[in-house]
Amino acid sequence: MLRLVFAMAIGRAAGRLSQFLGRGGSAIPGLIAEKIDPCTIEKLAVGLSRGVVIVTGTNGKTTTTKMLVGILEAEGLSVVTNPTGSNLARGVATHLMRAASWRGRIEADIAVFEVDEAAVRTLSPRLSPHLVVVTNLARDQLDRFGELATTAEHVAAALRHADLAVLNADDPLVAEMADAGTETRFFGAAPQVRRLMPADSNLYGAEEESGPQPALQVRLESAEAEGYGERVELGMGGDRLEMHLQVPGTYNGYNAAAALLAGLEYGAGLDRAQAALEAIRPAFGRGQVIEHRGRRVRLLLVKNPAGFNQIIRLLGEVGESSVLVAINDLDADGHDVSWLWDARLEDLAGCGHRFGTSGIRAYDMGLRLKYAGIEAWSEPDLSAALERLVASASEGETVILVPTYTAMLRLHSMLLPGTRKREAWT
Amino acid sequence: MNGLVIAHLYPLEMNIYGDTGNVIALTRRLQWRGLDVRVDPVPTTVAYDFAEADIVFAGGGQDRSQLEVADDLQRRAGAIAEAVEQGTVFLTICGTYQLFGRRFLTRDGTEIPGIGVFAMETIGGSKRMIGNVVVDSPWGDLVGFENHSGRTFLDAGQESLGRVKKGFGNNERTGEEGARVVNCFGTYLHGSLLPKNPAFADGLLRLALERRYGDAAALTPLDDELEHRAAASASRRS
Repeated sequence: MLRLVFAMAIGRAAGRLSQFLGRGGSAIPGLIAEKIDPCTIEKLAVGLSRGVVIVTGTNGKTTTTKMLVGILEAEGLSVVTNPTGSNLARGVATHLMRAASWRGRIEADIAVFEVDEAAVRTLSPRLSPHLVVVTNLARDQLDRFGELATTAEHVAAALRHADLAVLNADDPLVAEMADAGTETRFFGAAPQVRRLMPADSNLYGAEEESGPQPALQVRLESAEAEGYGERVELGMGGDRLEMHLQVPGTYNGYNAAAALLAGLEYGAGLDRAQAALEAIRPAFGRGQVIEHRGRRVRLLLVKNPAGFNQIIRLLGEVGESSVLVAINDLDADGHDVSWLWDARLEDLAGCGHRFGTSGIRAYDMGLRLKYAGIEAWSEPDLSAALERLVASASEGETVILVPTYTAMLRLHSMLLPGTRKREAWT
Repeated sequence: MNGLVIAHLYPLEMNIYGDTGNVIALTRRLQWRGLDVRVDPVPTTVAYDFAEADIVFAGGGQDRSQLEVADDLQRRAGAIAEAVEQGTVFLTICGTYQLFGRRFLTRDGTEIPGIGVFAMETIGGSKRMIGNVVVDSPWGDLVGFENHSGRTFLDAGQESLGRVKKGFGNNERTGEEGARVVNCFGTYLHGSLLPKNPAFADGLLRLALERRYGDAAALTPLDDELEHRAAASASRRS
């Protein structure tokens, strides 16, 4: 224990120093502590009386984590969690340390961590989670993972260290993991809702073959846009919950179904869970709305074609707006921008939005829109592009920003100066 | 019909890294010139007469999909060889490019037989060759993105598509990228290849129009400024 106490003290001091120097530092304390005591995570996690929940998958990790934390807190549990981006070992260690006394005693009941798909294989045995939630697996940053099959193997390996798996029945790669031997519960959607989710790749509109859907414990019965959010109905056996989510899109209906199913495992009451889900505000950049010079700026983070197709569907439902798509190709975005060609931008031709493109690969995005039959202006400089976007809308109007990760961090700091250091991952 | 027919081979099975963008680029560049275009999707097990097509496109895929299409490709080997000989334009990327060679020896020792259009072999490696590529070709610099672990070696006398200026290309040693036999092209460049390389896209359309109509006068100039800007920003990334 002495080693842990020492590791935590040094880690915390390093974190404070880093923050003092203005370098952020959400990852620093965990990173340093793990160097001194490589079992920091194991030693702290074992003190959580209700154990650990891991949320992993390509899209929806952050929002699903937020939703589950809300549901568990409504049950009176004290929850440790990690904010978006700190989803590697160092981030998990940092947030466990924050919930611990200087002697290493955890002062919380349960932890809900979103974990990167590539890190989950090694983190899962270390955290021995009671439950692992897998939201979906889609093509994302293939230059990082190489093959989608490899990612699926990582996640399947992680499930073996859990007591219970909560899986998306509508994602074939995820549903397949039910064979891994761990006890499984499924969430999914009714057939009419599944049809609303654009498949990963169906250029010629071919219906994806889908096997029989396993029995669902929570089913997304309906989902439709309502204001800036989504009206969804969740079914559990005979029970139905209808609610207005502040987060938009069918995909957030799936996230709510996943969070509710996980919450039910901890005995969550339906009324309280519904109130908790309705109270969830959009996570950092995931539908978040920021006031900027009299305009409402809505941020929709884009990471991969599946996520882009969801945003495209959302853009098809909102009224004519000014939209800026900002594509960077740094490490956290993925160096390969070819996925832009897998998104169905053609669906937006003639929808009346005014498009602009920005970021390091502004012209690649402009070209994608041109070949989709959509006119757009291109301005690689993010700050100049933001100005142009704002100028193209009148006061009180909502403009839409669709940035990749690093473009979002920069735009966010322009919209809300001073907040970046706390939110950014390092 | 005043236009061309494009066959898209294995559109669901072999479609990763934005390969669809190549079909979109060919289609649009014909339409912008007032030409008609028909795209025939050709999935596995569906019969197709390659004499119908002016241009055949086939993309890359993950290892699993490559195995799925390998058998189907064998059954079409004779028909494809004949179409290539008759000057049909082919563009094959990454996974199908590899299968258009004699064979692909995977890293675990499995041999996937190819159809031998290109005189070459591919050997699976442990290291993935990933990154932006610039290739010196007869159509000028081609820019794209590569992501493959197979290393392809051309036989002596097998023409390549070009020389690598940045990136790996066929393998990390010979400096060659891609292959060409008659009007059949193979390459590791995705990203997508054709939208950012309009001279090559039009080069393929020219070959197809000349073969079908005797001349390519319909291929009037287009404003490619945005294409060139996108290519320039891609070639600056390393």
